Amino acid sequence: MIKDGKISKIGKNISAGNATVIDGTGKHLTAGIIDEHSHIATVAVNEAGQNSSAEVTLEDVIDPDNIQIYRSLSGGVTTVQVLHGSANPIGGRSALIKLKWGETANGLLYKGNDKFIKFALGENVKQSNWGSAQTIRFPQTRMGVEDVYLDYFQRAKEYDELKKSGKPYRKDLEMETLAEILNKERFITCHSYVQSEINMLMKVAEKFNFTVNTFTHILEGYKVADKMKEHGAGGSTFSDWWAYKYEVNDAIPYNAAIMHNIGVNVAINSDDAEMNRRLNQEAAKTIKYGGISEEDAWNFVTINPAKLLHIDTKVGSIKIGKDADVVLWSDSPLSVYSKAEKTIIEGVVYFDIDKDLELRKDVQKERNKLINLMLNEKNSGGDVQSPKRRTQMQFHCDTVLDY
Amino acid sequence: MKKLYILNLIILCITINISAQQTPAPIQTTDFSIEGATAHIGNGQLIENSLVMFSKGKITFVGSASEKISRIGTIIKAEGKHIYPGFIIANSTLGLGEIDAVRATLDADEVGTFLPHVRSLIAYNTESRVIESMRPNGVLMGQITPRGGVISGTSSIVQFDAWNWEDAAIKVDEGIHLNWPKSFTRKRAWMGEGSGMEPNKKYTENIESIKTFMLNGKNYFKGKRYPQNLPYEALEGLFNNTQNLYIHASTVKEITDAIAFSKKIGISKLVIVHGNEAYKIADLLIENNIPVIIERPHRLPDNEDDDYNLPYKTAKLLVDKGITVAIGMEGDMERMSARNLPFYAGTCAAYGIDKEQALKLITSNPAKILGIDAIVGTLEVGKDATLFISEGDALDMRTNKLTDAFIQGRKISLESHQTTLWKRYSKKYSSQ
Repeated sequence: MIKDGKISKIGKNISAGNATVIDGTGKHLTAGIIDEHSHIATVAVNEAGQNSSAEVTLEDVIDPDNIQIYRSLSGGVTTVQVLHGSANPIGGRSALIKLKWGETANGLLYKGNDKFIKFALGENVKQSNWGSAQTIRFPQTRMGVEDVYLDYFQRAKEYDELKKSGKPYRKDLEMETLAEILNKERFITCHSYVQSEINMLMKVAEKFNFTVNTFTHILEGYKVADKMKEHGAGGSTFSDWWAYKYEVNDAIPYNAAIMHNIGVNVAINSDDAEMNRRLNQEAAKTIKYGGISEEDAWNFVTINPAKLLHIDTKVGSIKIGKDADVVLWSDSPLSVYSKAEKTIIEGVVYFDIDKDLELRKDVQKERNKLINLMLNEKNSGGDVQSPKRRTQMQFHCDTVLDY
Repeated sequence: MKKLYILNLIILCITINISAQQTPAPIQTTDFSIEGATAHIGNGQLIENSLVMFSKGKITFVGSASEKISRIGTIIKAEGKHIYPGFIIANSTLGLGEIDAVRATLDADEVGTFLPHVRSLIAYNTESRVIESMRPNGVLMGQITPRGGVISGTSSIVQFDAWNWEDAAIKVDEGIHLNWPKSFTRKRAWMGEGSGMEPNKKYTENIESIKTFMLNGKNYFKGKRYPQNLPYEALEGLFNNTQNLYIHASTVKEITDAIAFSKKIGISKLVIVHGNEAYKIADLLIENNIPVIIERPHRLPDNEDDDYNLPYKTAKLLVDKGITVAIGMEGDMERMSARNLPFYAGTCAAYGIDKEQALKLITSNPAKILGIDAIVGTLEVGKDATLFISEGDALDMRTNKLTDAFIQGRKISLESHQTTLWKRYSKKYSSQ
């Protein structure tokens, strides 16, 4: 039972009073899917050019009208971390949103959560695939990436010491953000692939007495899963992506299974707008690759990412008192044949498979009306113009816009 | 210390093993009888508790296990399991590229505009680790297709367990690929044209240039054909109906124009590739008996106001009209993602078509379209024993778990670079 946006009762034969009753006979009800790594519903993704962009935040560029929000709801997704891209070793601050389609940008933002920042390692930050002209920004090698971190964190440490000493200091937004990390008030999710650099960042963090919260993508996590566990880092990975860059030549679909078996908290993420709306299927692939149980596989896209995002007391499972972010599925959500029929956030139905059919009629009606208006205008001698078509921009980690 | 030495030796052996693809299986000498599985024939039929037998690379029996017939060779008991014909990926660049970001590994896109004489087969890399990763998912054959230009080149069909491209070939140079001009082109933001799409000003001009090339080719065959013109020579199969013309086109306008164009220049074996809007002109396709190789269903709709599930149900919209549909693979990360082919078919089943019909999208239908249905595509007597056994429903990722796979009766390895690393690191941790 859902009341005031929260899950109020769980059980059989609960008296519903005058509540709306949804017949779920033969269906599956789960917590909403949480995507730890996404770039949907934003108008920008990379502040490129500098190797640290800790001063920017994705909260400033949320696009609440992006149709992808609705498409993701249709796949049972309710919460998404919108991340900065991976152009810089130190990226921008992230935005955590709930997919409350129809809300304003501020209305989408998750309230009262811990704050995160995107870091990145490897080919993207050393600009390996940017053509032969882009070879002068530091860092160009994995060696240089370590120095970027050591340099920035040392400066942030000194900045914070000065600030705390009570002496006058010049406010610096980058340093403020990095000092939050040192003070455990902001947490890192780091785009990563190769074992050497994963290991390196954990050592840098340990030197500065903090923990890397999440390694995201982390396709070679299976090579250092024991070290990740010891450090206390989680892994948010792709189910089966590989071979798109040289650094994912050793990426294997068994990665999630190995990290999970070692005891790392594992999530399956999307990065990609298309995959975001099929994360249930992506989770199911870990059953094929590595023999994960259905329950554990499902946790990879619900409670585990909630833990990585420090919101597991509020969302990620069906529990009394938690937010009523739930999805009604036609079948086991891990089945390829399953469809989300209703996606509910805080007790509000944001996607309904039957209502969608009605909305399609509205779209068709509006379309016909507009076409008729245009035809009438043309026939009565009005101004005409050649047709135009809007394009949808889909962002990934490595999307850099040049204007 | 000794233990460490042995472990090192094991690791060393594994290291040597992963340096190349799995060794291709030798020619079938032992007969096989697979008994008790649910056989998915690939033509829409299903046989529970089946018996499938094969000898010397060919299927010799398909029927019920209750039939009193003597079993041949090695008997594989497969109760509760499922047997399928090998899946076929259409419109793929497998073997023409290894790592997307590493240019030296890419061989799919030759420089030039009209290149019908460029042949994919000779660049097909049988040692590709990406191809190796197809097999554990049941994807055992593919149409290897060049990309780029207006006429990209000539495709061939291969099987995925071979020493070299000659061994791999199932059907050589079976078709030519034409990228139809786009009716809308992206505005050039850097030229101050703003963003979005606008009608392609050169659309008609582009079609004219294709027409000129094709008609020049047609006229060339009426002459002495000397001195030889290699691009025109490569068009011969189109005009004598021995090769398919694959036109890659998406919108109603493009597909309609492409069909009219083909008729005009006298090409009858036409296949539409992509066909995102083909469902809107299904009658035209039916009338002209034109099949469609659709894009992968796991993609986003083209337009903001499209139904959210349009890519999932495109197959149904076409199949319901009676069009022969196969699933192809072109675009982002197309090679490594091709192993998801069975799950694409599964998604089509989730959105409206019967499971056995969905299976046809990756078995008998591509076989028909690609002209290899006499030898592969279904579990039928006389066809190649290119098939596999899965623990469960192979269209569902939870249960697509192959226990045995055969190509031309040869029992192939289901190991890969990826399974090797999996075992190697699992072992690392279990021995710690």
